[in-house]
Formats: sequence, structure tokens, C-alpha cells
Amino acid sequence: MKIKQFFQRFFNPNKQKTSPGGMPEKQSAKMQKMLAMLSNTREVELTCDQVFALLDQFTELAAQGENVAQLMPLVQQHLDMCEDCREEYRVLESILHGTA
Amino acid sequence: MDKRTNEEWLADLRAGGDRQAQALEDLRAIILRGLPYAIAGRLDPNSPESEALVEEVVQETLMNVLKYLDTFEGRSQFTTWAHKIAVRAALTELRRVRWREVPLPEMEMDEDTDSSYREMPDNQASPEEQVSQAEMMKRVNHILMEELTEKQRKALMAIMEGFPLEEAARRMGTNRNALYKMLHDARLRLKKRLEKEGLTPQEVLSVFEKVGK
Repeated sequence: MKIKQFFQRFFNPNKQKTSPGGMPEKQSAKMQKMLAMLSNTREVELTCDQVFALLDQFTELAAQGENVAQLMPLVQQHLDMCEDCREEYRVLESILHGTA
Repeated sequence: MDKRTNEEWLADLRAGGDRQAQALEDLRAIILRGLPYAIAGRLDPNSPESEALVEEVVQETLMNVLKYLDTFEGRSQFTTWAHKIAVRAALTELRRVRWREVPLPEMEMDEDTDSSYREMPDNQASPEEQVSQAEMMKRVNHILMEELTEKQRKALMAIMEGFPLEEAARRMGTNRNALYKMLHDARLRLKKRLEKEGLTPQEVLSVFEKVGK
């Protein structure tokens, strides 16, 4: 695959909808997603395993109304970056709310 | 009985015999109450697949609870800890099923740059804006090519395509934790290179966002 095709696949796999900003919607969304990730990147980040070890505590504190972003900022930062962990957090959160 | 304290859960689960069996039975009921929250919106809860998944996840969770019992540090309710294990097991399986038919994006790279970047900007942009976009895209792409390994590009592309990290890792013969570390390294490299070139992610983005406004 040539560099052009890579870029098109990376940012524009389907030339379909166009965003209000002018770029094809999917292309724009991917560019924004990647740049947002770069913007949120920190020198030191927790890994998925480290976050998993803390997720029960984090979720309980959040459910109790604590400011978890302040109390456990590295966990919060990882959840902002990692969709898999964020999804697991949200399910755990809904379980705590639903079965409490 | 599911009103045990953390200490009671640990004692009962370590006791063996009928006492342990009863605790496992109670824990099973608790996990079963939580699993519908993991399945909701991801699988028809009345389907045979759902029933099989629930049974599989409960078994796996109970085994893992016993296996990792000594790692429980009491920083949460024991049942929250158990739910966490069940959620990980359920979502891992649901992701595998959901993405099993989707191939991981394949690519081979070369440095054959050409003038095709002109195709990328949208026609709604002014000629000047199109040039800015094309130049920025070319610049960013060169950075991606120069800074990242093929594996890092492949992983980054998969994540941009919406692949769960877990599933991308499985396909790439690694695990989620290692893939996150690899992507973190990739993001750091890209960020530092942009900084070295006097750019911030926000500035790059602004080139694309302002078009058409």
C-alpha cells in the first residue's frame, strides 16, 4: 500500500459524508481522535492492568460522589484514553447503580 | 446470603467444603444480577448465545475469584471486585464475537510519496486552505512513517478504525496491556516529534477545523 493509500485508509477509508468543517466526516473524526489522543498523552500513564487493579475502588468512589478525577487522576486519564477500560468502567458503574 | 463483610467473604471462600460451596453459590447469584448490565445493548439477552455466554462468564469469574483471592486488598467491597472480574470476562467475549468477522486493517508501507495529497482536501475549502491541509497531512504522515514502527502504525490504525484494544491485541499476537504500552510509546513519539517541529496537536487540528468556517 502506498503512502497515499495508507493515509486515505487512516483518515478517509470511505469518501462519503462531508463534515461542516469541509473534510470528509470520517476522515475529520479520525484526525480529531488521533490528535485528541496525542494532546492527552502524558509521559507517565497507567497501563490497562494497573487500571484494572484500581477500577473497583475508583468506581465505588465515583458512585459515592467523590471527585475521582482529582483523587485518582492517572486512572481518570487512562479511562479518557482507553476505550476498552472506559467501557468496563461504565458497565461496572451501571452495576453499582443498578444493584445497590 | 450476600451481606457478608469483605473479611467474611474471604474466610468463607477459603474455608473449603460446604462453607465455600455456599459462598460460591451466593457469589454466583450476585454475578448473575450484574451480568445483564454487561450484555445490555451488546447481545440479545434472550438469545441462546446470551445464555451460553452468561454461564461461561460466571464459571470463569468464580474460578478467577478463587485464583486471585489473595490479590484482593479490600479497597472496595468484595462484590464490586468480583463484578469487575465478571465484567472483564463478559466484555472480552462480547468483543471477540462482535469483531470476529472484521479483518484487522492490513497495510504495507513504502515511501512513494506523490502529489496525491491534493485529492485529500475537500472541495469546499478555499484553494489556500486546501494547500494548508494537504501540506499538513503530508507533514503528519511523514512523521507517522518516520517515527513509528510498522506494528505501531498497524495498532494505531486499528484503534482509529474502532477496534477494541483487546481484540486488536489478540489478532496481533500480544495482549491488551502490552499493546497499550506500545501505543503509549507511539503517541509519545508522535507528540514529541510534533513539538520538535514546533507544532502542537491543537495547531494541527486547527488547520482542518477552520476550513469552511
